[in-house]
Amino acid sequence: MTLTGTFVFAGPPTTVWTLLQDPAVLAKALPGTKTLTKTADDRFEGVMTVSIGPVTAAEFSVSVTLKDQAPPTYLAMLIDGKGGVGFVRGSASVDLSVAAGGGTKMAYSSDVQVGGRIAAVGQRLIESVAKMMMRQALDALNVELQARVKAGA
Amino acid sequence: MPPPSVGRPVLRNEDARLLTGRALFVDDVQLPGMLHVAFVRSIVAHGHLKGVDVTAACARPGVVAVYTADDLGAYATPGPVLVNPPPVPGHVFNARTQLPLARDKVRYVGEAVAMVVAESRYVAEDAVADVVVDIDPIDAVVDLEAALRPDAPLVHPDLASNVAAHVVQRKGHYAQARERADVVIKRRFHYDRGVAAAIENRAVVVEWDARAEELTIWDTTQAPIPIRNGLASMLGLLESQVRVVAPFVGGGFGPKIMMFYPEERLLPWAAMRLHRPLKWTEDRQENFYATTQERGQVHDAEMALSKDGRILGVHDVFLCDTGAYDPYGLTIPINSQCTLLGPYDIPNYESEFTSVFTNKPIVTPVRGAGRQHGVFVSERLLDIAAKQLGIDRVEIRKRNLLGPDQFPHNHEIMFQDSAPLVYDSGNYLPTLEQAADLIGYDAFRRDEQPRLRKQGRHVGLGIVCYVEGTGIGPYEGARVTVEPSGSVRVATGVGTQGQGHFTVLAQIVADALGVEVEDVRVVTGDTREFNWGTGTFASRGAVVAGSACHAAAMSVRAKALALASRALGVPADRLQLSGGRVTVPGSNNSGVTLGELAGKANPLRGAVTPGTEPGLESTAYFGPDRGSTASGVHAMIVEVDPETAAVEIKRYLVVHDCGAIINPLLVEGQIHGGVAHGIGNAFYESLVYDDQAQLLNASFMDYLLPTATDVPPIETAHRETPSPFNVLGLKGVGEAGCIPTGAVFAQAVEDALADVGLEIREIPLSPNRLWELIEERRRS
Repeated sequence: MTLTGTFVFAGPPTTVWTLLQDPAVLAKALPGTKTLTKTADDRFEGVMTVSIGPVTAAEFSVSVTLKDQAPPTYLAMLIDGKGGVGFVRGSASVDLSVAAGGGTKMAYSSDVQVGGRIAAVGQRLIESVAKMMMRQALDALNVELQARVKAGA
Repeated sequence: MPPPSVGRPVLRNEDARLLTGRALFVDDVQLPGMLHVAFVRSIVAHGHLKGVDVTAACARPGVVAVYTADDLGAYATPGPVLVNPPPVPGHVFNARTQLPLARDKVRYVGEAVAMVVAESRYVAEDAVADVVVDIDPIDAVVDLEAALRPDAPLVHPDLASNVAAHVVQRKGHYAQARERADVVIKRRFHYDRGVAAAIENRAVVVEWDARAEELTIWDTTQAPIPIRNGLASMLGLLESQVRVVAPFVGGGFGPKIMMFYPEERLLPWAAMRLHRPLKWTEDRQENFYATTQERGQVHDAEMALSKDGRILGVHDVFLCDTGAYDPYGLTIPINSQCTLLGPYDIPNYESEFTSVFTNKPIVTPVRGAGRQHGVFVSERLLDIAAKQLGIDRVEIRKRNLLGPDQFPHNHEIMFQDSAPLVYDSGNYLPTLEQAADLIGYDAFRRDEQPRLRKQGRHVGLGIVCYVEGTGIGPYEGARVTVEPSGSVRVATGVGTQGQGHFTVLAQIVADALGVEVEDVRVVTGDTREFNWGTGTFASRGAVVAGSACHAAAMSVRAKALALASRALGVPADRLQLSGGRVTVPGSNNSGVTLGELAGKANPLRGAVTPGTEPGLESTAYFGPDRGSTASGVHAMIVEVDPETAAVEIKRYLVVHDCGAIINPLLVEGQIHGGVAHGIGNAFYESLVYDDQAQLLNASFMDYLLPTATDVPPIETAHRETPSPFNVLGLKGVGEAGCIPTGAVFAQAVEDALADVGLEIREIPLSPNRLWELIEERRRS
């Protein structure tokens, strides 16, 4: 499954970059995150629950390894999620640039393999669920960003 | 004398039990102290199995045991090869069968990795989620052609390639025929199949009686006796210590003949260790992985013809997906190879196939068993040739049919039963003429189709021929017993999955013994009732077990007449047996009932003479040298919406010839069910795997089965060309409905879309696939 898109944050790339590195912020933003810890400079680990169609409240242990970091413009990551109902494995990348009308433009793309029951019975819905989760996460990050920008201003 | 029941539409003996819920299915078996089993299955199609951590699962309250391959010790042997390859010279067959639980490597999504035994299925399922399986993934082998490239990952690394089998069969000299040809049609065809989707999934219940040292297994298998024999051997028990009961089973369709499924091996093994009865019932999602299925073939085929449409020869090279293991040998591709010849006189034939290992579930026969692939190729080639040569579709077929004087017809190649492919009998031309007549072929082409086309409606007609190799060996047996009550009991080794064995076998015996069909009680699929046999497959139950029942019943009849002759003092040849009574025609002697004769057959003291065998009972076996070949023609009329590619089936007609008919009602039932299967295969069902062999539609939400509204009323006409291979002249009919359905569907849709100029070379279609083909064609 590939997922690509763009999003415009109402704040500067450096602040967006900081948010993307903050497990507490990410945990709040990513729907279904139960725990998220930064276990190394380039590594996050945590537990998420996801519901996709008939597969409800499926728990995944997730690890994300960051690589090729070029603050505050580029970041790639390896994603590895495992659970009783399947797995998600793949890579993603994030490009940050100054947006035309101010703020930060994020271009993201990910390519993940999905397997097990979530692939077998949730296939029809995975992409829309993933898009929805992404949208919710980005919106939540943007809210947090605006709060920080305001607090900093 | 009442008329014989054979040939009449007798209502089914078993329906009262089935319809009132009194029939026993495996999941109905409830035993005191019974534990429940669930399986941990690989969610990765291909990978090294690094470890299976069962600690958390074992600690869960209610869990009794969790087993991995390491716990099985010497029991962890690969399963048997069920069908040895026919002795085709030069064939290659790399047998690789699966372990009961995967060790070191997993080869398909759904392969069993661990077995959980718990107080309830709920607990067992929760514990399955507790098991941590560590798999290091390898790229999956999915595509058949990619699988054969030198850099492809190997499903079985001990082999040099992913080739499971390679077979070449030849008849005549194709190359010479090609040189003489006026036209050579060459195309590539894809034909994919699907799951059997029996309404009842697999289930196993096991009870080990440690005091009696007897193991009882209730199993949804189509082959109870071979299961009994195999498990006894694997478990170190006498065959007589193991009883396998295949009670009523809600549909077999092939996959339930697979031996041995891991679950079938593991439950008895664990029950003997735990001293508790065990139950496992497959859920629908498991069924998509853990039960065998049938899948894709890619054919590069060519047909050489003279300009008058005579087939001079056929050349076919094909790949066949066998999945991760190949326990069923070459049956499917050999069936495709043989059935391609169809009802036609094809003097020169060269066919080469390569069976390929992939990281997908195991492939074994599903109703049709490769036959539809072969029929699709030859029928499509004929359609294309007819167009190119400007010959009518029905006419080109007529010109190539084997004539009635060409039987027995030796095709000079080897069939799945290790016997040469010899058609026993057939009368193909009248079958085709009758089908063309009943569907109104000429009138449709001349009047109906042009009239509707003028109205902008896209209607089309398809008409194709097929043969079905049925009723193969090795053998079946039956024991017929007349009880003192006068009731008759028949026991046979085949299992029953809804075909109507309780009726057709009863009819055969009832006629031989002059009793009513409902007075004959048939017992199938219980190894304690009958000790010898093979199973229900290849449309052979009625042919092979039916012939055995007939032989046993005729022997009982002779015994009854001999006993009656002694009792009445009248020579046996002057006696008549009917209405459950032996009488002397033309005399006022009231005769003697079969029940009374059964009593006499159990002699009291002083009535025994040397050599006396008690009982009005006889056992007989029937083992044909080779199968008998049924045949038929399917025709259909469709209307296609060229915008949405929706296909409406207006009429569906089957004219078939399964030799002598025992019960036309049941024959029609078999055909109706088969056509429904075939329609699903042609236009609805498709197993979708991604590039890592993840099955993406493992539920009935996404895997479409045709429903009642998708299956039209099916018109049938019977023809009877008896088989000379058995006394009753029988041929099988179990798969006839689904074999040519893809081919007739393609032709009808093509005909409906004549203005688009479509050429359909693949099955399954679907509305969206058909739409894509229409769009591709319009753009080109």
